Amino acid sequence: MRKYKNTEFPHSHNSACEAQIASRDELSAYIDKELPAWKRYLIQQHLKKCRACAGYVQRLQKTDTFLRQSGEVEVSTDFLAGVLTRVSETTQHQRQQASLWSRVVQRLVPGLETSPRRWFRHVSILAYKLRQNIQTRSPIYIFALTFCVFTMVGVTLYPSRSDRFGQSAHAWKKSDAMHNEKLISFEVIRRDPPKRLLTTALQQK
Amino acid sequence: MFVSDEDLMMKCRKGDMSAFELLVRRYQNPLINYIHRSVNDYHRAEDLSQETFLRVFKSANRYEPTASFKSWLYTIATNLCRNEVRNRSRRNTYYLEDLVEEGEDVYHTDIMRDTRYMPDVLLEKKEQRQIIRKAFAQLPENQRVALTLVTYQDLRYEEVSEILGCSVGAVKALIHRARQKMKKLLIKAGIGEENINAKI
Ligand SMILES: [Zn+2]
Repeated sequence: MRKYKNTEFPHSHNSACEAQIASRDELSAYIDKELPAWKRYLIQQHLKKCRACAGYVQRLQKTDTFLRQSGEVEVSTDFLAGVLTRVSETTQHQRQQASLWSRVVQRLVPGLETSPRRWFRHVSILAYKLRQNIQTRSPIYIFALTFCVFTMVGVTLYPSRSDRFGQSAHAWKKSDAMHNEKLISFEVIRRDPPKRLLTTALQQK
Repeated sequence: MFVSDEDLMMKCRKGDMSAFELLVRRYQNPLINYIHRSVNDYHRAEDLSQETFLRVFKSANRYEPTASFKSWLYTIATNLCRNEVRNRSRRNTYYLEDLVEEGEDVYHTDIMRDTRYMPDVLLEKKEQRQIIRKAFAQLPENQRVALTLVTYQDLRYEEVSEILGCSVGAVKALIHRARQKMKKLLIKAGIGEENINAKI
């Protein structure tokens, strides 16, 4: 950097100002009118006597004035309409989302109320929470909650009886013949006990 | 009768669309200009301004009148601009990096000592705007945001401190450093004595 002799620039801030009334940060804040009244007054009085500080403030002000001349862009006439369109699109989308959720929760809640298990109640609370927070929380949070809710829906609609699950899983894969065979054997087993019960009942009478 | 931004926002919270419309009318011009100074692209600025208002509308129910609406609005806009500039630099499309040599420490050089600096001499308007925009693009992010908010949006230091999440004292220092660096950049861009003599 070029060095200037003091005679060339005799009023530079550091060398000439011995009063130390204000720091440079404060002189910058002074032109923004951001200092308390008493400090402002002190600086005002100081600037009348100190050419170094006065010059510094003047140059800060020149920079500020120059920057303010940078011009402004014109806002297009359909800007407001654009904002309102986007807002109405969002509110419609939110309404649709809300009605979808209320339907899901409505289906979920009767099942939960008849269920004897207490933890189903916690799931319903989670479902409500998910509905409220789905737009503000992280994708992982949403994914985890969605997974929980869908698992609970599954458990509610298909009660966890291992024989039923096992049977249906086999039935999908086996041939029709085998399927029928199973059904027949099932019928035979299930029909016998009532007959015996009926006959013993009749015999007793 | 003048209704304050905060009152309009409370009406907007209750679903009053005309209050929201009034807020948009009040701030569309300064907001687009603010964003435009960050992203240097009118269409993106318009898009991001719409996005800002949309976010204001969406989170109206979370708005508390204890916070100044202006600070809140500019916080949303500043975050959107930050993301935009970050994404752009990731895509290597930020185009104003060639004005200042890298590694120069402007804070330790006494630029304000140079009395040949004459920014008040009029240049051609278009050239002047270009120089200013380029210089702004060279400032570190926080300095640029702080100086823009104070110079063009007429925000108080306290409001800027809310937006940047720092103390008022830090804003004071930030503004001063931004002005110093800005002055050096303007001299580099030719706003100096030699340049002006050459023109005359
Ligand atoms: Zn002084």
